[in-house]
Amino acid sequence: MISLRGVGKVYDSPAGPFGALKNVDLEIAAGEFVAIVGKSGSGKSTLLNMVGGIDRPSNGTVTVGDTPIQRMSENDLALWRGRTVGFVFQFFQLLPTLTAAENVMLPMDFCRMLPPRERRARALELLDRIGVADQANKLPAALSGGQQQRVAIARALANDPPVILADEPTGNLDSQTGDAIFRLFRELADARKTVVVVTHERDLSGIIDDTVELVDGVVVPGFRVRHAG
Amino acid sequence: MLGKILGDFKQERIRTGLVVLAMALGIAGFCAVLSAYGILTRELNQGYLATNPASATLTTDKIDDALLAAIASNRGLSDVEARRVVSGRIKAGPAQWRNLTLFVVKDFGKIRVSTLQPEHGAWPPATGEILIERDALQVARARIGDMVTVKTAASQEQALRLSGSVHDVGQAQARMENGVYGYITVATLAQLGEQPFLDQLNILVAQDRFNVDHIRNVVAEVRKSVESLQHPVRRVSIPQPGKHPHAEIMGLLLLAMSGFGFVVLALSGILVVNLLSALMASQVGQIGVMKAIGGTRWRIARIYFAQALLMGAAAILIGVPIGVWGSRELCRYLAVFLNFDIGSFAAPAWVYLLVAVIGLLVPLFAAGYPVWKGTGISVREALADSGVSSNVFGASAFDRALAGMSGPFRPLLLAIRNSFRQRTRLVLTLITLSASGLFFMSALNIRASMINTLDRLFSAKKFDLSVSLASMYPFEKVERALRNTPGIVRAEGWITTRASFAKGGGGGAAKHGHGGGAPTNDGFVVIALPTNTKLLTPEISEGRGLLAGDTDAIVLNSALASSEPGTQAGSTVTLIMGPGQMSWRVVGIAREPFSPATAYISKEYLEQVGGHDGMANSVRLKLEKTDAASIDSVKASLDRSLEREGLRALASASKLESRFSFDQHMLMIYVFLIVMAGIIGGVGGLGLMTTMSLNVLERRREMGVLRAIGASPRIVWLIVVAESLIIGVLSWLLAALVAWPFSRALGSVLTVLMFRTPLDFSMELIGLVIWFVVSVSLGILAGFLPAWRASKLTVREALANS
Repeated sequence: MISLRGVGKVYDSPAGPFGALKNVDLEIAAGEFVAIVGKSGSGKSTLLNMVGGIDRPSNGTVTVGDTPIQRMSENDLALWRGRTVGFVFQFFQLLPTLTAAENVMLPMDFCRMLPPRERRARALELLDRIGVADQANKLPAALSGGQQQRVAIARALANDPPVILADEPTGNLDSQTGDAIFRLFRELADARKTVVVVTHERDLSGIIDDTVELVDGVVVPGFRVRHAG
Repeated sequence: MLGKILGDFKQERIRTGLVVLAMALGIAGFCAVLSAYGILTRELNQGYLATNPASATLTTDKIDDALLAAIASNRGLSDVEARRVVSGRIKAGPAQWRNLTLFVVKDFGKIRVSTLQPEHGAWPPATGEILIERDALQVARARIGDMVTVKTAASQEQALRLSGSVHDVGQAQARMENGVYGYITVATLAQLGEQPFLDQLNILVAQDRFNVDHIRNVVAEVRKSVESLQHPVRRVSIPQPGKHPHAEIMGLLLLAMSGFGFVVLALSGILVVNLLSALMASQVGQIGVMKAIGGTRWRIARIYFAQALLMGAAAILIGVPIGVWGSRELCRYLAVFLNFDIGSFAAPAWVYLLVAVIGLLVPLFAAGYPVWKGTGISVREALADSGVSSNVFGASAFDRALAGMSGPFRPLLLAIRNSFRQRTRLVLTLITLSASGLFFMSALNIRASMINTLDRLFSAKKFDLSVSLASMYPFEKVERALRNTPGIVRAEGWITTRASFAKGGGGGAAKHGHGGGAPTNDGFVVIALPTNTKLLTPEISEGRGLLAGDTDAIVLNSALASSEPGTQAGSTVTLIMGPGQMSWRVVGIAREPFSPATAYISKEYLEQVGGHDGMANSVRLKLEKTDAASIDSVKASLDRSLEREGLRALASASKLESRFSFDQHMLMIYVFLIVMAGIIGGVGGLGLMTTMSLNVLERRREMGVLRAIGASPRIVWLIVVAESLIIGVLSWLLAALVAWPFSRALGSVLTVLMFRTPLDFSMELIGLVIWFVVSVSLGILAGFLPAWRASKLTVREALANS
């Protein structure tokens, strides 16, 4: 499903060029739930951005499904992202002026994969599935952190993308709520979604399928651990 | 400190640039009108004083050398000269007759009082030659060297050579008055067939030239002397001493303009409030650190106040040269309007000083609240600040009400709700944008109201052409001439004369109500008309109009009534008309805005008591066709018919011509308000651009999220432009709601100031439509650049922004 071949990323900084990723090769199969771990600055988020088409590699290729994404135009990439990838962020990043249901409907508006009349019903169904249907008409400011992150996951699922990418999705939540969010991701993976999560959580055995560790922009050789399902 | 200031400027260079530009625009506007005020009031009066204007003019009968010598011996006078003013008509080539005011001068080489300035051609004019005021050449449609035909009340048509032009500073612009000022010698007057004498004494007081009470006393003495030498004094005129006839009105207008200029400058200060509020909010952490390492509130505030001062200084450097250029253009325009030359365009030093002080104070004052509030935060609060605004959307009932508004297109909902997120910023932006809309709509409304007021005034006048006859003629002869003139539907013979209220000595200083207002102590016009007239239906605001059988009844128009406080229907007034005095019963007040002071009496009664039975000295005509060509044709034909009867028309004015002067005055106010709307619109547009730029800056992360979940750069661009557009439309709505009372009040202030008359208010609905289009365009234009920059952000950059 996801294939990175010799991916490197160099940023210009006042101190000179900085290599955030170095010659990364990675394969993630469809329906896998993979955690990317590592210290701050190890390149976890950069790797996730490459997979999600948020950033472009300086070298190497990124293929998601059958699509090599590094050469797509910004407009094509936006549409591709909306249809193929669902993003979940650490600080939820719900749009504060839209209600929970409207936040979920927004990607549908952008990608037009559903007729306008069916979008609200789909949003409510997703919110119900995630367990926050009763919050549909509230603004984000009126929701707790856990509720906001659930709405953000519902938004990520809006266009039924095959890939879910989450950057520290539990970093701003208490441990109980964080566990619940990981269980949700597990259910999505079980439903054949490919889920890639950047996390600091170490004890994810029994929930995730694989762990990839990054150190200074390099995948630690032989670290990739397949967990028992 | 300087390093931080410059660093902040560098970081915020585009927004700082926009704010400085807006302030420069405000300063340029303020500087332009204030400089114009300083220059024009100085130059107008200097130019006028340079002509040695007469302190007073006494009109008597034939002035001989003995009389002149007797008056000259008065120790209260420094000079006296004789002149004469004769009304007539002039035409050049095939052009139509134009009304002519002829100034007869004894010796052009020795003019000392109310001097003339030779412009082109001959000086002095020889016998058989005429000089024309420079601005009147266009009205006469003649060139120097042409032969022109002139006729006066007593003369036959005479050809005179137009030998040169002069500049007569004391006269109103000829084009505005639609008349010609001519200058001839006494010998030329004789050649025209008029009696070769002078009848006006232009006197100049020896001391205290600018003291009207002193002038009045001297005039009273001179009057006694003249009358003691068996010369009756028919009229006395005392202009405002040392002031050009238009100086007061021009000063008031320019002061009003300066007031508006200050408003523009103050509005530009709003941009400083917005910029510094955003800057302070983004620098809470920095402020916390500065406080933690020993910075006091005042020391930190000084950094931001210094930024505001620097912005003001930069705006002054840009705005003042533009303002100086603007003031020169404004002065040139008004100088043409007033027909005078500007010797120096140098603005007085106080203008620059005032502009600099206000230009620095406005941003400093505007910075006051955001800086003081921003620096008041405690170290703990500042260091704990996460960069997330405490003003979370959804906290207020208004937010929740907005959230209740739903629709099928979320990006549009997003734009609508986003526009209300920073409400203080929104309100301040709306103030500037709405202000420009208000000025624009006011310009159109005031113009429409003035047209409406004039329409009402002129609708009372049912005649199309007014003809003044050279003398009092038997009306049956006039009627014969009228019958032989095709194109006339109805005609009435009226008697027009002058009168003054019988009180006081020489009268007060003349008040020059422009186009109307208070009477001068020259007196006012009295029109004796048939009580059953079909050609005048004045709008009676109090009492009644004239009725058949009325004897000593008089109707005063509003300008005349307001010049005599306490005069109302039922009052009795005593008028000096000709050699005698008569008491009249005021039966009504006629509302005649923009009109000179006028009284109406019964012609039948005047014929009875004045011995003018069956006579008339003017006619009012209703015509079949009222286009300019048809009116000219009737005028020419009537001239011939009158000549055949041995009668003579002295002057004529069609309704169209009478409105011309009003329209010109109206144009001045209209142009001023449109220019103001343009300048404020510029400030408002820059303000909106700054606001959108700040909004985008603060929401960069949200833009990143939008892109991450599938929004294309185009959609992001559209959301930002839609937000800007919504603010533009909101400003239109606000302006539209306030336009009616605001323009009504502004129109009244301006017209009362200029014309001493209120308006019949009328709302120009097309203004709402035009300003809607402008607001939408301004919204799109102002949002374009910030939206483009937002759409060009990479998703990673946007998401990385905290």
